[in-house]
Amino acid sequence: MANYIKRKQDAQKEHPDCSGCGLCLLVCPLWRRNRDLQHSPQGWAKALQHGATPTELADTVQDCTLCRACDPVCPEQIDVSGMILKLRKRMTQPRTAVLQERMSAQMRRPARTYREKTALLAGEALRAQPELLSHIEVLLGKKSALAVAEDDGADISLAIEAGLEIPSERLAVLIEPLWRADKVIAADGLLLPYLAQWLPNAKIFSLGETLSSLKSVRLNLRATDLYVIEPRAYHADYVRLVKHYERLRKECGCEFNLDLQRIAIPATSSGLPQRLGLEANDGYVPDDDMQARWVLHGRNNITRIVVESLEDRAAFQKVSDIPVVHLAELVSSLEEAGA
Amino acid sequence: MIPETHEPAPVQPGMIGPCHVGPDALIGIKRQQTNPSRWNGQGWQGFAKALRDSDIDLRENRYSLGLFATDAGGTAYGLPHGVVVARSAGQISSLLKAAQQYRVPVTVRGGGLTTEGESVAFGGVLLDMAGMSRVLHIDTDALTVRTEGGIFWHSLAEELRRLGMDYLSAPLNLTSSVGGTLGVGGIDVNSPRLGCSADQALSVQVVTPTGEIVECSDKQNAGLFQRVILGYGQFGVITEATLKIRPYTPLRMHYFYYDTLRTAIEDMQLLNRNDASDYSGILTIMDCAVNLLVAFDSDEREAAFRANWQPRLRGYGEPGFALCMLRRYALRPWKLPEAWYLYRRKRELFPEFRRPEYLRDGLMYDRTVVFSRAVWKFWGSKQMVIPDIATSAEKFVEAVEQGNAVCRKYFPHYTLYCVGIKLRPEHKSHYEMSCIPPDAEGWAYGCEFEPMMDDRVYSRDHLQSFKNAIYDIGVDMGGSYYRFGGMMKGYIRRVFGDEVVDRHLAMKREADPSMILNREVIF
Repeated sequence: MANYIKRKQDAQKEHPDCSGCGLCLLVCPLWRRNRDLQHSPQGWAKALQHGATPTELADTVQDCTLCRACDPVCPEQIDVSGMILKLRKRMTQPRTAVLQERMSAQMRRPARTYREKTALLAGEALRAQPELLSHIEVLLGKKSALAVAEDDGADISLAIEAGLEIPSERLAVLIEPLWRADKVIAADGLLLPYLAQWLPNAKIFSLGETLSSLKSVRLNLRATDLYVIEPRAYHADYVRLVKHYERLRKECGCEFNLDLQRIAIPATSSGLPQRLGLEANDGYVPDDDMQARWVLHGRNNITRIVVESLEDRAAFQKVSDIPVVHLAELVSSLEEAGA
Repeated sequence: MIPETHEPAPVQPGMIGPCHVGPDALIGIKRQQTNPSRWNGQGWQGFAKALRDSDIDLRENRYSLGLFATDAGGTAYGLPHGVVVARSAGQISSLLKAAQQYRVPVTVRGGGLTTEGESVAFGGVLLDMAGMSRVLHIDTDALTVRTEGGIFWHSLAEELRRLGMDYLSAPLNLTSSVGGTLGVGGIDVNSPRLGCSADQALSVQVVTPTGEIVECSDKQNAGLFQRVILGYGQFGVITEATLKIRPYTPLRMHYFYYDTLRTAIEDMQLLNRNDASDYSGILTIMDCAVNLLVAFDSDEREAAFRANWQPRLRGYGEPGFALCMLRRYALRPWKLPEAWYLYRRKRELFPEFRRPEYLRDGLMYDRTVVFSRAVWKFWGSKQMVIPDIATSAEKFVEAVEQGNAVCRKYFPHYTLYCVGIKLRPEHKSHYEMSCIPPDAEGWAYGCEFEPMMDDRVYSRDHLQSFKNAIYDIGVDMGGSYYRFGGMMKGYIRRVFGDEVVDRHLAMKREADPSMILNREVIF
């Protein structure tokens, strides 16, 4: 029995296979905001089936948040997010010069090779909070065995999202220092499946899964917590992670930002222009408040929001008075961490 | 933009005009088109200008039109001249008034889950109701919800569940829309107890074909309510609905396996007559593996079933059925390919219905998600034909057996889905010329006959002949159909008779003088 999300590597399905069932609409934050088929994976697939060009779809495809919720729900097992990234690749990209420059700059930086067996790609948001990053290093234990990679591929992640080709030299600068690692932990969910391809000998995990696997963290989760899963990482490895979080639910009794299809509801709705710091061509301004409010809607019994992603923390703090903590902050001391 | 076309040659009423929906849909049917001349694009420019003058966003580019070129059936294709995403009753009112004035057809689309082209626009304007899909108010004391008509049942469920509530009954398909379902019926595995989804509506806000915005219910504008509910979208656009809701409960499922359709159907009807279960339905792999599913909302109901009714059921448990199948195919070795198909199908299907994230402590959570995902994954394809028959309880076994013989003749593999529908005597007027057969008392029973395409390509002739053969059974037995619109509308007069159809047509002409609203669906 093929798993629901299991990809057939030898026969990847694409937009011509879309039967128009609409299950992707139900989980799409872009569709939820617009209630308009043009702003949805089904709409893009159907438009392509009927001869639309990538340029015609450009404005709305740029607004996709790439939360990847559409991937696991597609009954035809179409690689929906792959379709969106391919579309972005085929669009004219006049506004990505800054990103190209960032990648070039990274290529010129000397690369350090790590001897540690575990590497952490912390991502920009975590790097901006050195205390929290340091705390996470302690939580993940054995500082000597964990390397926080200086190059965490943030520019590569953005380039993937923008549909840009990654220069092989740039990729080498990211990957070669990690070759010795047995385990790579990434905070950026978008990078996870790519890291699995680039580092076939290493085990790749999201930071959320890694932290939530720690006993010390689990012990501090409460039944009145709303645990907010980072959608990109979760949907990229849905079949495995749905079981991980189901175990966590049974153990801790907390609520999750999961809908009835067990898809993680994103708390933010930033599309490509917002991630690149640009204004959208179609004037679209994502309403993060709406998404965060929808996650919280009707959950009157929660007393704390626990997030895997720092971007989500900001979104919830904006719309709610309920305390929001990062998963790592559940363990406040070294003693607790060793519990 | 699509250019204006020339005036077509007039077609006399009663003559058989060219069938633009499916020219090959007429095999064996004398088709009486009550609305024989196809709209030719005349008046579109004036209509488009009127919409723009009213600040209605009318899309006419190829990209926007292509999104709606077909429905879930994937056998009827057509393009509208323009698309409007519904945003408010006022906007729809303006649109319909302009459509009446310029005689432009309006095709209303919810989830687009029709299979006979009912939600496909063959010219004119397509109104996409998904744009109106907000929940307006949930009253957990009165157990009602007020929602916009374009909402998908699943989106409604997502909101209700946050408050521990659930709808009563809805199609086992996540993207059916509330408005569309109220217009045609809506059948769930709890319909044997709670009736069809259309019977759950307490009141609806309707925009009539002439643009009036009217609230109606059994007590207020009751005549319009009777016509709109189960009215196939002929008498108005449902923009809001008040529905009954209930506290949410997970289910405890039981599966019983049969090797004959008759026994399984008789057992299902026994349970329904005696109110012995909260949910029941039959899902088959051809006619060899017949699964009667029975489920309960409470331990008490389940215990009563175990004590009083389970011993009377003639189905097997899983191991018993496996032995039964072994014996059957050991005696018929020439049928081993069929046995192999059954085995493969079982291995695919069973785990999907037992996914651990939906089963906790033996209870099934979110049955609609489980069923709908399985339906799309294992039964869905880009082309689907699902002819059905609805009959009274007494005629049902015979109808299913005849339909099964048709399936065997046309396709190597197929599935049948049977369910009962509890009828509400006070809604008898709603049921006229609908999926509810006229002679049904107490319960109506429906069976869907769905061939498995198995990556084969069938001609539309073949598919249409199959549908006709199934529908002919309904005509012979005095039944009805869930899907009697679109390509199957040729059966309407045959099954309901001229008197009923002409009466409804007269009501339609009065309500919709230019015959613009969903004109290709049944008239």
